[in-house]
Amino acid sequence: MSSQDTTTAAGEGESVDLADGVDHQVAMVMDLNKCIGCQTCTVACKSLWTEGGGRDYMYWNNVETKPGEGYPRGWEESGGGWQSSDHSERSPGEIPDKEDYGESWEFNHEEIMYEGGDQPLRPQSDPEWGPNWDEDQGAGEYPNSYYFYLPRICNHCTHPSCVEACPRKAIYKREEDGIVLIDQERCRGYRYCVEGCPYKKVYYNAAQKTSEKCVFCYPRLEGEGPEGETFAPACAEECPPQLRLVGFLDDEQGPIYKLVEEYEVALPLHPEYRTQPNVYYIPPFAPPQHSEDGETIDVDRIPRTYLEELFGERVHDALDTIERERDKVDRGGDSELLDMLTDTNPARKYRLEVFDDA
Amino acid sequence: MAEDRLLAVWAALACLLVVTGALAPTLASARPANQIPVESVRADENPQRPTGEAWDAVPAVEVPMTSAPSGLPNADETSIEGIRVQSAESDGRFYLRLSWADETADLNASAPREFADAVAVQVPANTSVRPPIAMGSTRNPVNVWYWRGDAGTEELLAGGAGTTTPFERPAVNASATHDDGRWTVVLSRPTAADAANRTTLAVERDVDVSFAAWNGSEMERSGRKSVSEWYHFRLGPGPQGPPYESILWTIAGLAIVGVSLVTIQAVRNTGGGAE
Repeated sequence: MSSQDTTTAAGEGESVDLADGVDHQVAMVMDLNKCIGCQTCTVACKSLWTEGGGRDYMYWNNVETKPGEGYPRGWEESGGGWQSSDHSERSPGEIPDKEDYGESWEFNHEEIMYEGGDQPLRPQSDPEWGPNWDEDQGAGEYPNSYYFYLPRICNHCTHPSCVEACPRKAIYKREEDGIVLIDQERCRGYRYCVEGCPYKKVYYNAAQKTSEKCVFCYPRLEGEGPEGETFAPACAEECPPQLRLVGFLDDEQGPIYKLVEEYEVALPLHPEYRTQPNVYYIPPFAPPQHSEDGETIDVDRIPRTYLEELFGERVHDALDTIERERDKVDRGGDSELLDMLTDTNPARKYRLEVFDDA
Repeated sequence: MAEDRLLAVWAALACLLVVTGALAPTLASARPANQIPVESVRADENPQRPTGEAWDAVPAVEVPMTSAPSGLPNADETSIEGIRVQSAESDGRFYLRLSWADETADLNASAPREFADAVAVQVPANTSVRPPIAMGSTRNPVNVWYWRGDAGTEELLAGGAGTTTPFERPAVNASATHDDGRWTVVLSRPTAADAANRTTLAVERDVDVSFAAWNGSEMERSGRKSVSEWYHFRLGPGPQGPPYESILWTIAGLAIVGVSLVTIQAVRNTGGGAE
């Protein structure tokens, strides 16, 4: 059981909820209006962390089409999280089936590339599902169909139900920055964390017989690379449209704090799971609907009700705030909010060393 | 007349003696509750093999199992209801043969929802004190001999639930067979201990032991398991443990004799009054 601990920044009236015993909390803001579904983040993560060794089926970072089944298929109906906001009782969860993740297919690369075969490139098995099987399907009827992309990593939650689920305390939230990690020495592969995470972002490695997950690229944050430089997680740095901001939620001078706590336009995914994620999303806008004769009409293409399902009822205020600020800029005014959302300076987008001397 | 009656009484007493005599051997062989006898067997009779002939002569104890108390989801949904236990010693090695009903042999944990069958035995690290049944405590740890269908054998030290840590150089061997809807697993270890915190079985006292088993196809793992209460290996001299059965038989015997004597007295008194 964990209780909420409120850390108040000295001298200012603002406050940020941090987990018990955590000094600072890493956080990420993803602007869904910029995601083009190119999967560069997915590949960056995969080539860094999950190639081979029982990890082929895992995508610590995935990008799924919404509305859609997601990865693993149907994860939003798989249970987990907390029953109430006092975080005293967890909701039961299910471990997804292998088929819901989709297997890593073997392709006939050898025949096509080296043996001159003229058959099409295709999996050697006959798969019926896999990640992004329903890519770009979305929902709605022509000409008002709609979809958007949702990149997902571990949310490094403030109240992680995966941590509470582990009978061995092998999974923990580390003190210095709130990154949720699995101690591979302690883990015995019981998978209570897999079923306990409502976002299904913990994966079982059948070769290692332990569970594994996104580590928020902590060695990059710690400057473990060859030059001793600090880097943001690979999914963020490699993103072509640079849709992610990385920093600390409690860094009150940073854009993450302002977007989440001040403007309240960056929202956690499925707040009703009550784990308090530290990955936040700028909700997506889409062009308005068209009438049958092709005229633009004043109706949201992406139904607000659907966005509310994903981001909770605060999504209305968030969208309204962004719209208001856009209007302001359209009229020639200034907007700190839009400046932050359109900033291209990496030094401001990735604020990772602000607490290094603390 | 009186002599005839006296004769009848003596005859009844004699019959009683005969009956008692017939019952006495049962009394002597009655095993104290929760005791697991440790038989000496010959190494060439293959005690390490679940089907080794050494086991033919070793008495089996049927140990009932129930769901372990646990806060884990569905912890009360376990499927193994009992385990048949035999134990033996041979040439400085201690053997334990465990057999239980499980229709499916779950030998893999190669998919997210797959779990392997498993069985475990716990003995106190320090055999002079009985530890808490839920895998001991920090001050009173237990040794766990653990066999799992997909991962083989482990020898673990535990000081409470969630604390199992492997021994650096495991000394436990296991052989397992699944036949006709039953697992049979033989675990063995040198009787003497050669490492810190490893339970020595080269002792002149009874040693506490309890059992746990997991059915993989029911997604049983970790604290979601069937467990027994404490039993003990009979390693001490003479009858050990709480000999409830013997005590009850003794009381019953005394009662029979008492009732007989009272009856005899009553018969004699009645007879005396008629004269």
